[in-house]
Amino acid sequence: MSSWSRQRPQSPGGIQPRLSRALFLLLLLAASAWGVTLSPKDCQVFHSDNGTSISCQPPAEIPRHLPADTVYLAVEFFNLTHLPAGILQGASKLRELHLSTNGLGGLPRELLQPVPQLRVLDLTRNALTSLLPGLFQASAALDTLVLKENQLEVLEASWLHGLKALGHLDLSGNRLRKLPPGLLANFTLLRTLDLGENQLETLPPDLLRGPLQLERLHLEGNRLQVLEKDLLVPQPDLRYLFLNCNKLARVAAGAFQGLRQLDMLDLSNNSLASMPEGLWASLGQSNRDLREGFDISNNPWICDRNLSDLLRWLKAQKDKMFSQGDTRCAGPEAVKGQPLLAVAELVQ
Amino acid sequence: MMFWREWDIRLLSGNLCCANHEKELNMGDVEKGKRIFIQKCSQCHTVEKGGKHKTGPNLHGIFGRKTGQASGFTYTEANKNKGIIWGEDTLMEYLKNPKKYIPGTKMFFVGIKKKGEKEDLIAYLKKSANE
Repeated sequence: MSSWSRQRPQSPGGIQPRLSRALFLLLLLAASAWGVTLSPKDCQVFHSDNGTSISCQPPAEIPRHLPADTVYLAVEFFNLTHLPAGILQGASKLRELHLSTNGLGGLPRELLQPVPQLRVLDLTRNALTSLLPGLFQASAALDTLVLKENQLEVLEASWLHGLKALGHLDLSGNRLRKLPPGLLANFTLLRTLDLGENQLETLPPDLLRGPLQLERLHLEGNRLQVLEKDLLVPQPDLRYLFLNCNKLARVAAGAFQGLRQLDMLDLSNNSLASMPEGLWASLGQSNRDLREGFDISNNPWICDRNLSDLLRWLKAQKDKMFSQGDTRCAGPEAVKGQPLLAVAELVQ
Repeated sequence: MMFWREWDIRLLSGNLCCANHEKELNMGDVEKGKRIFIQKCSQCHTVEKGGKHKTGPNLHGIFGRKTGQASGFTYTEANKNKGIIWGEDTLMEYLKNPKKYIPGTKMFFVGIKKKGEKEDLIAYLKKSANE
């Protein structure tokens, strides 16, 4: 029964209401079958062989009940503090749930129990400060979880229990200062982890232990001061590493040692003045390596003898180098302001 | 002892790398756009000719094309029915807030705030999506 898109008002009178309501529902069904939006107050509805897709933005009314064959539901740009109770009841085929840009401050623990086939959950731009353990108990099929731009200050590993198949975890744009140990321990299928634009000062050394093949790690826009030696060891096949816009003053010797096929490395906009010798030896050797490029611009490089290792490496890799014009020496005085590539030409 | 000889430093102040440097500066927007693409888009999209569809469609040939037309990709009805032509203006609008521009899209991306970044990205898309 399509009570989820009931219109008002009811017509007054005796036998008429029933007849007109029946006619009206017939009209509604017919219109829905053509995927037609009746008025701006309705959600957009599309039918296909796969099922029904429903997309709601203001001024449409949020449905209270969903058709049993709903596969896609978007309820976005409302000023909701909480979702209508039981909104997902009966929609057992739901694959995608988009709830971005509402004001959701919390999610009921049982919210996702009716939708065990859910693949994508987008909670971007809400006001979540925490999640209840058990929220994802029935979410073994969830591939993508986006919690971007919420208000998470802390993260408990228990909040994410149940996400056995998670491939993409986006926690960017929150206020995370610390991460718990063992966060990813059970996320064997994780391909992408986005922790960008938080307030992370340190990382637990075992952060990357768990996934069998992490491809992308976003740490840009945090407050990291050191890249420790052991962080990347569990992920030798990491392909994209974004560390730009941190406060990195030190990269530990051997930090990149195990990386076998890094496609992109971004260390721009940090506080790096020098790098340990041998750090770059393994990078960029094969044709495959760094094939998308690398960026070390906007760092206060001190172009003295200690940098000769990096400078020699730059000369060989300059085709892959982004922001060449912004990669300059901050010292010594004699070469202050010069592009690293220019100074590299002079290295014996 | 300095590790480079003094006379070499004087060479620096003459424009040793002038040609490369200038060329690189002219390509600045496209280059910045490529970096933005790699960081914010390449997770779900390829852009080169013959590139595979991922979570999102390959973007080759997108300029001048109607929404939802990359062959072989399953778009939402909402995207297919949007009916506009992708160009600089429509992309600027879209990248501000993709979910507002195409309600019902599968794309879980909130958009790019900085105008300069949008411009750089569109410059890169224009170049590589047409090569």
